[in-house]
Amino acid sequence: MKRVQGMHHTDNRMSRLSSIGELHEMRRLLAHATHPAQTRIVICAGTACQASGSGELIRAVKRRIIKDSLVGKMSLRVTGCHGFCEMGPFVLTEPQMAFYAQVKPEDVARLITATLAGEYVEDLLYRDSDSGETYYRRDDIPFFKHQKRDILGLNQKIDPIRIHDYIAQGGYDSLARVLTRNDPAWVIQEVKRSGLRGRGGGGFPTGLKWEMLAKEPRDGGKFLVCNADEGDPGAYMDRSVLEGNPHSIIEGMVIGACGTGATEGIVYARNEYPLAIKHLTIALKQAKQLGFLGDNILGAGVSFDISVVRGAGAFVCGEETALIRSIEGKMGEPRQRPPYPLSKGIEGRPTAINNVETWANIPLLFRLGADEYAKTGTRNNSGTKIFSLVGKIKNTGLVEVPMGTTIRQIVHDIGGGPVGKTRIKAVQTGGPSGGCIPAEKFDLPIDYDTLAAAGSIMGSGGMIVMDENTCMVDVARYFMKFLKDESCGKCFTCRKGTQRLYEILDDITKGRGTAEHLGLLEELATVVKDTTMCGLGQTAANPVLSTLHCFAEEYRRHVGEKKCDAFVCRDLVGAPCQSACPLETEAWRYVALVEKGQYEAAYQVIRDANPFPSVCARVCDRKCESRCTLAGSGGQAVGIRALKRFITDRVDPGTYKRAETSSRDQTRWWMPSPPARKRRGA
Amino acid sequence: MPNRTEPSRMGALPVPGSKDSEDVAGLVEKHRNQRGGLIAVLGEVQTRHGYLPESALRVVSERTGRGLEDVYSVATFYRSFSLRPRGQNLVCACLGTACHVRGAPRVVEALERKLGIRTGQTTVDMRFSLETVNCLGACALGPVVVINGRYHSKVKKSAVSGLIDNVAQGSAAEHAGVAHAAFELELDCPHCGRSLRDERVRLDDCPSVRLAAAMGNRRGCVRISSLYGSRLAATELGIPEGSVVEFRCPHCAVRLPSHADCWDCGAPMFSLQVRGGGAFSFCSRRGCDRHMLDVTAAQPPGSLHEAGAGHASYR
Repeated sequence: MKRVQGMHHTDNRMSRLSSIGELHEMRRLLAHATHPAQTRIVICAGTACQASGSGELIRAVKRRIIKDSLVGKMSLRVTGCHGFCEMGPFVLTEPQMAFYAQVKPEDVARLITATLAGEYVEDLLYRDSDSGETYYRRDDIPFFKHQKRDILGLNQKIDPIRIHDYIAQGGYDSLARVLTRNDPAWVIQEVKRSGLRGRGGGGFPTGLKWEMLAKEPRDGGKFLVCNADEGDPGAYMDRSVLEGNPHSIIEGMVIGACGTGATEGIVYARNEYPLAIKHLTIALKQAKQLGFLGDNILGAGVSFDISVVRGAGAFVCGEETALIRSIEGKMGEPRQRPPYPLSKGIEGRPTAINNVETWANIPLLFRLGADEYAKTGTRNNSGTKIFSLVGKIKNTGLVEVPMGTTIRQIVHDIGGGPVGKTRIKAVQTGGPSGGCIPAEKFDLPIDYDTLAAAGSIMGSGGMIVMDENTCMVDVARYFMKFLKDESCGKCFTCRKGTQRLYEILDDITKGRGTAEHLGLLEELATVVKDTTMCGLGQTAANPVLSTLHCFAEEYRRHVGEKKCDAFVCRDLVGAPCQSACPLETEAWRYVALVEKGQYEAAYQVIRDANPFPSVCARVCDRKCESRCTLAGSGGQAVGIRALKRFITDRVDPGTYKRAETSSRDQTRWWMPSPPARKRRGA
Repeated sequence: MPNRTEPSRMGALPVPGSKDSEDVAGLVEKHRNQRGGLIAVLGEVQTRHGYLPESALRVVSERTGRGLEDVYSVATFYRSFSLRPRGQNLVCACLGTACHVRGAPRVVEALERKLGIRTGQTTVDMRFSLETVNCLGACALGPVVVINGRYHSKVKKSAVSGLIDNVAQGSAAEHAGVAHAAFELELDCPHCGRSLRDERVRLDDCPSVRLAAAMGNRRGCVRISSLYGSRLAATELGIPEGSVVEFRCPHCAVRLPSHADCWDCGAPMFSLQVRGGGAFSFCSRRGCDRHMLDVTAAQPPGSLHEAGAGHASYR
């Protein structure tokens, strides 16, 4: 095989590509060196899959390849996140495209043998847990079938620490195109025409932002920032893109520099994402070595460099003025706007800040061309958007769909609907700044404008599914706790307002709420919204207001009847099985007694609540089991009725002694019993 | 070059003028011209000592010329900094929305009960600290608990006790440096093809790999473990921590090839041939444990090797 130009050093290190022609030559050689039909095992080593044990799996595959001398016959590609984290660690085979879920190291040998023979290992293939159907091709799996993976799709083809993988997939081709054309105005026009809007949440048109930056004076420097401070709890698409395809961010930023005349780029990355920072650091180093960064990029006269700044764990630093202060090494407090960062940003210089996903869209946009790009999605909302579909849903993971897809399609077609037999109640979008969208509105298309009209926001794309076992008051309380902890404290109304909102919500979940509280909540939320300076405070009321409006009945039940129908607010319910039972039998208590072998004591508990236990043990419709927390989390409920039948069949009713004080009223004698407390209070 | 390093979480307080204080001063210099310098400096002090000792803050303030109150405000603003010493083992529970709706608060309660401390506190014996984090981005696996950097997914409240007991008993084994599923590699010189296996000296219960090493004008031999995933090395050559060593084949005396630099520390990574196929490369700096096992074919030596492809232990 021919050597790539400029690479025959003693140590075969890469040297700078000094022209666009050299890049094309390199890509041609790379295409030559890789055989598309080669058998390959693809394993994800993203944060989530590593947590599930993909590291051991990778070792096992390497060991097998070396032991059986398979180098040359089969290769291994370690990639970033594919999005279906629930199934990790998984193996994808090429060219079969078979998807093996939750593979263990001991399965590797037969998996490799079968793959080399062009066969499948049936029992390891992904199987739908409801229908039982086995899928032979990854792309037939409903989770993947209904997506349009323009951005995420590249992750499976690239080892993020090998720049050649990215180049072989057409990487840096868009940059070459932009450099060849050498027309900043055209770059901005293309982005404007594409209709790309900022993926960080606000949805500001990216082209317009770039145009404004381009008009700022260049002397003294201009900055481009990639906002990778993905603080929204429940959203992790930025992590996946950074981890899995860091070069797309680099390429996007260099193209941005070509259009706007920016001189320096900064990626502000979250400290909680060590793997993403690592992959980005390696990618930056490789890009510098090959000449995609630094002085005179690809010999085309543009100079631009990117550095990484790590955050230190402050949610408010996702706000652009706070982010700038953090980059300057200061406390991340937001400041009043205007002046906007576009005119006065880092060190007072013009600065444009875009989200990770926005940057990742740029190379795609220039590869397709603005017109082609704009064909995906809807008017004013072009392109795809990645959502992190998490919470009470069957298939959790990253989902990339064209803008304008309905929530129902995402939740039911891709997400596979609820876990077990529960009913999905709402989705929460936009993280702590967003709101809840009730199930009645699931036919709404998802785009910036529709979501805003529905009282929520797109946000960075977190989509948390909630079912009937999720209490909306508790969710509002959770977000308010988050916000009160994360409020920087600069504005009084945010600092104290979120604190008081949290206290009121906490009171409601603890059964101390009154009807007046609801009015107060709304009033206070509105004040916080209107009187704070930055995005955090202005949107802090959203979780409260949207749940108050869409789930008023739940709030009313909490303050009026002191009931939490989701059985979450512990002070109001105690054990779900007991609350579900029309007789309020202490199922949790007798189940525990059965486990200890104290059958007569268990009978005592059953008879205390129910004079005809052996009948009920046969015909009861088991409301308790439907509410068992084990069933709610995807497992099987405790067989409460069967245990009851066992006890009533086994224990002689004559042993029952009607105690003067029944076991319910006794003091706690073997475990804390919130239900008992509740009963006394009722 | 790999060696066995004990993580020093509980460093002593840097006394002004002492070596530790010089360390902090060195960190300030290292990040002087970097963006976000102060946060990066404090971040490194935090990693090194497990917290931000007052004396370190004073040194930072002195060296950066920023007022102590300024340094203090940054140190208290960000969540990842702690002004109090943390325990040997850091238990961190994720409280992101996805983890929350799947029962993370119950898991945190169970952790608090098991450890006998509240969130943000450290046990009296300084063995455990318990913290929460807003989201780790592993939402599909919630509830997530991270113990000493290791992720545990779908943690049930009943599993908490076992997790903590494992750490309490097994922390010594975890630090031994032998990762799970390690296996033995037979390594050859890429130049003469002769085996580097040394049966006489065993490391990790396997024959070691013998290499000729040079540092300045000193010559000697370095043995590394042939167990993939181990970080063990032995040498009679007194190599100070942090220095870079040049490696040769002990048979043909040709310098081992180096196709890339370590992404972490920038020292050259030297490459050996794996019998059965593939290449193993390791960082030549003592104290840096980056290594990589490459089994990708279609990359004949001398062509498409990447720079900087140093690897974490999972590779």
